[in-house]
Amino acid sequence: MFDLSSMTEYVPAFVEGFIVTAQVSIVSIIGSFLIGVIVALMRVSTNKALQFISLCYVDLFRNIPFIVLIFFSFYGLPEIGVYIDAFWTGCLTLSVAVGAYVAETLRAGIINIDKGIIEASKSFGLSKFRIYQKVIMPIALTTSVRPLGSVFINLILTTSILSAITLNELTGASKIIASTTFRPFEVYVFLVIFYGILTFILSGIIAVWHRHLNKYNGVA
Amino acid sequence: MIEIQNLHKDFGDLKVLKGVDLSIKPGEVVSILGGSGSGKSTMMRCINGLESITKGKIIVDDFDVSKSNDLREVRKRCSTVFQQFDLYPHLRVIDNITLAPIAVLGQSKEEANDKAMELLNSVALGDRASAYPSQLSGGQKQRIGICRALAMNPSYLLLDEVTSSLDPEMTAEVLDILKILSKQGITMISVTHEIEFAREISDRIVFLDEGRILKDLPKDDFFSESGGKSDPRIARFLSKMGNV
Ligand SMILES: Nc1ncnc2c1ncn2[C@@H]1O[C@H](COP(=O)(O)OP(=O)(O)OP(=O)(O)O)[C@@H](O)[C@H]1O
Ligand SMILES: [Mg+2]
Repeated sequence: MFDLSSMTEYVPAFVEGFIVTAQVSIVSIIGSFLIGVIVALMRVSTNKALQFISLCYVDLFRNIPFIVLIFFSFYGLPEIGVYIDAFWTGCLTLSVAVGAYVAETLRAGIINIDKGIIEASKSFGLSKFRIYQKVIMPIALTTSVRPLGSVFINLILTTSILSAITLNELTGASKIIASTTFRPFEVYVFLVIFYGILTFILSGIIAVWHRHLNKYNGVA
Repeated sequence: MIEIQNLHKDFGDLKVLKGVDLSIKPGEVVSILGGSGSGKSTMMRCINGLESITKGKIIVDDFDVSKSNDLREVRKRCSTVFQQFDLYPHLRVIDNITLAPIAVLGQSKEEANDKAMELLNSVALGDRASAYPSQLSGGQKQRIGICRALAMNPSYLLLDEVTSSLDPEMTAEVLDILKILSKQGITMISVTHEIEFAREISDRIVFLDEGRILKDLPKDDFFSESGGKSDPRIARFLSKMGNV
């Protein structure tokens, strides 16, 4: 019999898992965004070496299954003396992996900017830094923000894989509850709801950000 | 003073400028005429370093355009108004105008805003300060483009066919503003296909042909039968432009 009330006593455990998932997601979204910005700037720079390094980075991390990466960081790195706990291993690996996707998304936004606008800012003597800060990045983001939203929602869903490295985030916590209650159906209904809450919140934030950035062209 | 000495510019195998010598004194209004592809835009872009120089030299008030330390100073002194306007689409009109004065000249926000409002009022757009460029007509955009250039208090104003993206009515509203400016002592270098306008505002006319200066004459000489028009290429160009 389907009986959600059987889950009442496990709500705190769910919430705990939910909080871990939310924390990993927030830290990794910020981390991958920062990495993505830097790598995107390297991708579009005129320096051949930076272009090459960033291209390798993007190709590498977009072509390795995340579960392989996370096993490598969690079980492989300690072999060479690098010890990080499961939470931070998860955050770092996610940031590095998703950073590659963020970089490509931003790059697409950057190369689509009308060259004349960038030249105009150059012609008035703005420094490279100011041009990126005040002109290129804001315009690139207006077109990149939606695809970025998809990348970040994917990131949230990918956090479930961290249960494979002993992190009791939402999926990990649910597995434990399912195996003690023998009620997988109810457990996974809860799981779906919690992921839904997270992605729903993120979609909302992205929509508001998109509207804010695009208010100039009435796309909203 | 802008001094262009033996300027050459190649794009790969294509030689676009083939030894241009030109000097422009403070306060002068100079129009650059010439057929399509003669290198007018390329020359203008070399002046503020948007295009690298293949050979030769450009000196703006003692600053050498090809030295990266000097380039910033050159760009502070030369402001460009662009054919396609090239306003910053994500910034309001007022911020379009104040971006460079704040970031490059180090003006305070209030100072830059005051100056921008003054300029906007002078082109009858004071009420559009908080609009976005996409909400403006072409003529309005170009008037903002002019304000954005003037906000830098430039010694030199570079204009490259600033009305050729506009319909005749809007062209007139922009040209009127430029006519007023030309009488206020700012040095203007203007590439244009508006011959009447060039004739009205210029002190000098420079005619470019296939990457070389064919004639560089005071306005009245240029338009006289014995002066500029004595050259068949110039006569042909002028008659093609509907000016005989
Ligand atoms: N970035 C570039 N790369 C290659 N060729 C170029 C480039 N910019 C300009 N050219 C070429 O240089 C020549 C001169 O171009 P330029 O734009 O200076 O002409 P123009 O006199 O301004 O012509 P118009 O009146 O049509 O604007 C043209 O043949 C053009 O195709
Ligand atoms: Mg041109």
